[in-house]
Amino acid sequence: MMERICDLAAVPDGEILRVELSGYRPLAATLLDGRVYVFPDTCPHAAESLSKGWVEDGRVVCGVHFAEFGLADDEVVNRPVGCPDLVKFPVELKDGAVYADLSKAEAA
Amino acid sequence: MCKPDMAPVYPQASSYPHLADLIRSERAQVDRRIFWDEEVYKAEQQQIFARAWLFVAHESQIPDPGDFIRTTMGEDDVIVVRQRDRSVQAFLNACPHRGNRVCMVDAGKKARGFICNYHGWSFGIDGALRGTDGKVYDTDAHFEKAQINLTPVAQIESYRGWIFATFDPDAPPLTEFFGPFTFYLDAFLDNDEGGTEFIGGATRNLVDCNWKFPAENFVGDILHAFWTHQAGAAAILGGGVDLGPHYAERAFQASVFGHGIETNLDKVGNTRTLGYPELVQYVFDRYPAMVERLGETRARMVGAIGSCTIFPNLSFLPGQNTVRVWHPRGPHQIELVSWTVVNRAMPEHIKELYRKGVMMTFSPGGVFEMDDGENWEYATRTNRGFVTRHQPLHYALGLGTEAPEKGLPGHVCRGSLNDANQRQFYRRWSEFMRHDNWGDLQAAETAPPQHQEAAE
Repeated sequence: MMERICDLAAVPDGEILRVELSGYRPLAATLLDGRVYVFPDTCPHAAESLSKGWVEDGRVVCGVHFAEFGLADDEVVNRPVGCPDLVKFPVELKDGAVYADLSKAEAA
Repeated sequence: MCKPDMAPVYPQASSYPHLADLIRSERAQVDRRIFWDEEVYKAEQQQIFARAWLFVAHESQIPDPGDFIRTTMGEDDVIVVRQRDRSVQAFLNACPHRGNRVCMVDAGKKARGFICNYHGWSFGIDGALRGTDGKVYDTDAHFEKAQINLTPVAQIESYRGWIFATFDPDAPPLTEFFGPFTFYLDAFLDNDEGGTEFIGGATRNLVDCNWKFPAENFVGDILHAFWTHQAGAAAILGGGVDLGPHYAERAFQASVFGHGIETNLDKVGNTRTLGYPELVQYVFDRYPAMVERLGETRARMVGAIGSCTIFPNLSFLPGQNTVRVWHPRGPHQIELVSWTVVNRAMPEHIKELYRKGVMMTFSPGGVFEMDDGENWEYATRTNRGFVTRHQPLHYALGLGTEAPEKGLPGHVCRGSLNDANQRQFYRRWSEFMRHDNWGDLQAAETAPPQHQEAAE
C-alpha cells in the first residue's frame, strides 16, 4: 500500500528528514544522487533516531555507534554485533510528492 | 527518588606547610625527600597538577573538527578535541558510567565521537552522551541522558597556538599565570609571521627519575653542559661545549612565577649543536628581521644557548627547537613526550633539517638526551637510601647576582651559570604546597617585582 510521505521539495539533499505518519513508527527520508530513499528512522541496531545522524559516502551514519547503512546497496559498515540491515521502502514520486510502500514498515 | 548528580567535580586544594618547608630558600637548600616520598607526590597531584595551567596540545596537531590528541594532565588521561566551531575542548578520557577509558589511541583525525568499550556509551566530540547501548536505558523512564558528559577540564586557553588547560575553575587566565614571562615566550612563539607548528609526530619514552629533575634542569641548569655533554658535543661540533667567555656579561637568567629561562644571548649556540651549518646561516640571515620584530635582546635569544621551563612541567630549548612535557608517573618515573617545533613560515627544507637535528640530539636515541637521562635517574634513585635522602642538596650557585635590568621583566640574575632560576622554581613549588588559593599564590615571592609592574 503506497502512503504519501511528504513533499518532494522537503527531502534534503545529503541530510535526513524525520517524518511522522500516524499508524507507523517514525520514518526517515533523504535525497542522494537524485534518488529519494525512505527508511525507518529508528536505527535497526537499537533505539537511536537516524535523522540525528548524517549521510556520508552514500551511507546513513548512526550518530551513536557509527554504524553505516548503504542507501543504494545493503552494505553495513561498523555493524554492531547482531545489528540487522536497514530496510529501504520502495519509493514512487508523483505530483511533486514522495510515496512509499510501507507494507513492511513497523506499525506504531 | 534518588537522582545522580553528574556535574564535574574539581578537587579543592589544601595547604601543606610541612611540605612547603622542605624547600629551605633561606639556606639555598632543597630537601631530597621531595624527589622520593609518596606523600610529597600525592600532594603534588592535588596542589600542582590539579591547579596549574598545563600544556595539552599545539593547535597544529589538531587542525580540523574531530581531530584529537590524547595526553595527560598530571596522571589524568585527557582527550583534546577540535570542535565543529573550531574551538578546542578537553575531557577526561574516562566514561562516567564505570570509568573505563573511551579513547584508546594516541591521536586521530576527524573522530565522530568516542564509544566506551564496556557498555557502549557513546560521546560526541563535544563530550555529550549521545546514546548508550540503545536498548536498556532507552526504556528506563528515569534515565536522564542530558545530564551526562565526559568530564571537561575546568578551563582551556590557547596562547599563540599553544593550548593549556587547568582542572581549577578558580585559576586565573592563562596570561596571568604566565605573568610578564610572556615577554620571553614571545621570542620563541612569535619570532616570525604565522607563529609555530609541531612537525613529525612525537617521541615518547620512560625515564626513571622524579619529574622535577628535568624541569629544574631546563629552567636554569646550563652548568651541566660543560661536564655532562662534553663528549656528545664533541661528536657533533668537533669540540667541547664552549659558552664563549665574551658572552659571559650578556648571559642572564630570568624567572616569573617559577617559569624560567636562561640564555647566553649568543644568537646561534643551540642551533649550532644540531650539526647543520645551513641552519646556523638561516638564523643569522633572519637576525635583522627578528631585531625588527622583537628588539635586539630577544632576537639574540632565538638560536642562542638557552633553555626554558614553564612551571610545572613544560620545557623547550630555543634554537634546538625541541619541546617536551615531563609527565609524572609516580615519584620515581616520568613519561617524556617531545616534539620538534618550527616556524610555519620556514622553508620546508629548513623545517626538515630542524626535525633531523632534533632527532639526532634530543630524542630517545639522541646524543644529549641520553647524557641527561642517566644523571636524573641516579639523582632520583640514590634517595632510596633513608639516610641519603635526609641530606640537603646545594642550590647556592650565583647567590647575590640579582641584577634588575630595564626592559627585562621578572627576577633577573647576571650570568647563565647560576642556580637562580632553580631556586625560583622550587620556591614556586613551595608556594603551591603552602597556599590553598590563587590570591596568595599570585602575590607570593615568585611574583614579578612590584616596581616593574609600575614601570610598564
